[in-house]
Amino acid sequence: MATSLSIRLMIRIGSVCIVTWTTLALGQDKEIKNPLTGDPSAIQEGSSLFRANCSPCHGLNAGGGGRGPDLRTGLWVHGPSDAAIFRTISEGVPGTEMPANPFEDSEIWALIAYLRSVSAGTKTPVAGDLAQGERLFFGQGACAQCHMVKGRGGRLGPDLTRVGAARSVAYLTESIRDPDKDLSLAPLDPNNHYGIPAAYDTVTAVTLAGERVIGVAKNEDAFSLQLLGQDQKLNLFLKKDLREVIHERRSLMPAYTESRLSNQELQNLLAYLTSLRGE
Amino acid sequence: MNAVTIRVTLAAAGLITCAVLGRSQVTYDRILKAAEEPQNWLTYSGDYKSWRYSKLEQINPSNAGNLGLQWAFQSADLGQFETTALVIDGVLYGTGQDNRAFALDARTGRAIWRYQRRLPDKVQACCGMVNRGFAALGEHLFMATLDGHVLALDMKTGNVIWDVEAADYRQAYVFTVAPLVVKDKIIVGVAGGEYGVRGFIDAYYAESGKRAWRFYTVPGPGDPGHETWAGDSWKTGGAPAWITGSYDPELNLIYWPTGNPSPSNNGLERGGDNLYSNSMLALDADTGKLKWHFQFTPHDLHDYDSTQIPVLLDAPWQGQPRKLLLHANRNGFLYVLDRTNGTFLSAKPFFSRLNWAKEIGPDGRPVVMPGSDPTLEGTRTCPGALGATNWFSPSYSPQTGLLYVAAAEECDVFTNAPQKYHEGHDFMGSVYVPASGEKAWGALRAFDPFTGEKKWEFKYFTPPNGGSLSTAGGVVFAGDSDGNFVALDARSGKDLWHIQLGAAIYSSPMTYALDGKQYVVIPAGAALFAFALP
Repeated sequence: MATSLSIRLMIRIGSVCIVTWTTLALGQDKEIKNPLTGDPSAIQEGSSLFRANCSPCHGLNAGGGGRGPDLRTGLWVHGPSDAAIFRTISEGVPGTEMPANPFEDSEIWALIAYLRSVSAGTKTPVAGDLAQGERLFFGQGACAQCHMVKGRGGRLGPDLTRVGAARSVAYLTESIRDPDKDLSLAPLDPNNHYGIPAAYDTVTAVTLAGERVIGVAKNEDAFSLQLLGQDQKLNLFLKKDLREVIHERRSLMPAYTESRLSNQELQNLLAYLTSLRGE
Repeated sequence: MNAVTIRVTLAAAGLITCAVLGRSQVTYDRILKAAEEPQNWLTYSGDYKSWRYSKLEQINPSNAGNLGLQWAFQSADLGQFETTALVIDGVLYGTGQDNRAFALDARTGRAIWRYQRRLPDKVQACCGMVNRGFAALGEHLFMATLDGHVLALDMKTGNVIWDVEAADYRQAYVFTVAPLVVKDKIIVGVAGGEYGVRGFIDAYYAESGKRAWRFYTVPGPGDPGHETWAGDSWKTGGAPAWITGSYDPELNLIYWPTGNPSPSNNGLERGGDNLYSNSMLALDADTGKLKWHFQFTPHDLHDYDSTQIPVLLDAPWQGQPRKLLLHANRNGFLYVLDRTNGTFLSAKPFFSRLNWAKEIGPDGRPVVMPGSDPTLEGTRTCPGALGATNWFSPSYSPQTGLLYVAAAEECDVFTNAPQKYHEGHDFMGSVYVPASGEKAWGALRAFDPFTGEKKWEFKYFTPPNGGSLSTAGGVVFAGDSDGNFVALDARSGKDLWHIQLGAAIYSSPMTYALDGKQYVVIPAGAALFAFALP
């Protein structure tokens, strides 16, 4: 019908959530199991429900999106039991962007059956030296020039305080080796219900005098541009004062190829990054 | 009518009719001639031809730069504020989110009354708890509610005069539409195309609330068109009718567009053309009988609702005077039909990357591109599910001869997956996501409606959710999804003035005059804003 799925999702988020007696009971009984685990038709239904309701944040096949974590990693940050995942879906997670969802119980069980069917099972730790990885992050790797962890570091790139809870090892590896490859598109959110979505494509503002300011756009419309420059200073432009605004589908982050970051260093860095769960 | 109202009316535009002074505030005759009293705004699209054009000319390209805020009204509810307000003799009447409504002193923005019909739990509205406005007749206002009711309210108090249930909201039948008054009847169309409803258009007697007729947009067994639905798929066929139609009093025909078949992205279970989804319907205003239909997108798989406003125009077509209907459709084509009988005259693309159809054939049917159907892993198709345009209003200016259309340049990846129907639940057959790596944008475009030639465009950074208003002052007003309300030169598209309102604009502007001053009104976020010259 009228508008985009992300808007549909926000409406769902915005509607009144009834916490049912069942849900409350589940919060107290962690032994409750999903009655639909492994049921092929439930997995199919869960897949369809996931696509229609969860994919705008978590990605079409639960592999993570611009806003929500990868759900295939086997790392259930808010509890791995069926009861805990049920609660995460129905009640949301305070302090995060995960909202309460007014599904019926049978729909939540179908969703969990689907998620179990695509999940990697138990999470195995990365074989690297966490302490070495942290030193690399804040030292010679220069990651912290642009990324922040728990308030420490730069501002140009995404805050990585919770990245270990949100992204798979494969995704992190790709983002380090080839940062242009999966430059996630910010989900459409015209009303800015969640603040302005983060986007990290490269934007160049060319002033009337020909000066070029390169950075990431914190926001933009037909008349203005709020650009965080590579020097991490905010540039607040009116478009009438600009000759041109150039958008490029590439990241400002350099590709950390093997010549720059050995495989062992990569493993150390991954060990550090996967340990970051905002705890 | 009180003394203040009379004074105000006299002062405005100098266009007074006897009807204004009578007991009935809004007569059918006044609505028929709505364009002749531009100090008021009597019906959703400004008049029955749905031009969304005003003869007011105080604001023009040379002074629009001086526009300033006169007042703001807070509806007390964030979200999509989609109303087009009515203004009747100095009082502004609007509807808001969550079944709200209000009447304001149109000079100050001060509320005269507020009304809210409490929402029951679990109302399913796919795209926001919205409402697009009132209709007015006599001393009553008419509102169609999210929980499936049609109401008559008293203009001076907001008191409920009558209240009828049109359909069960628990089955996801909801109303978001601004009703249309035709003679003694109130016309409404239902929403719910995301939930497998069976769409309909209803007429109610304004006096009593008794239903005069119903037209089902999905034909039942034995009715013509029923054969265009495989098996029992008609029972959950969708084809909602959630945008206000137009009316030709000479032909006595209501033109009402319909939306997508359900489930929108999966057509496996609903083989056939799926009449009367994505169609223009011409209904007899007295009986609701179908005079003709024209289906824009048969067997739709991309959510290309045809719920865009039909613009009625009498003009020569290839040398012959004709009664035309213009329709900038969500599927990316600008159609011209003969509105006496539905004859297809032309369809020109107004979207640059259109790839779902090669063209519209001489028979009016799209020549669909192979490989454009949704798949499990997804097919990139343009326009996206938001459409090349959408429900927000176009505008036609007789002064420039141009049709102004807010267009979205966006492609989506459409996926499909089987889905069981559960009453009152989502029934879309999967989902669409923005095409990866492609920046979506939008524009307000001015077209020659006869050739489809684009005369100018004003670019929006993101796809729009707001429509346009054109005026005899030679100014086009429009709002974008980044919160900018703009005044453009109607001939050139030059930006004359703009202001940031702080939230996406989900509506189309309207205008009125009071005390010799022209106001332009637009909602954004939770607020209604009124602008005028100093």
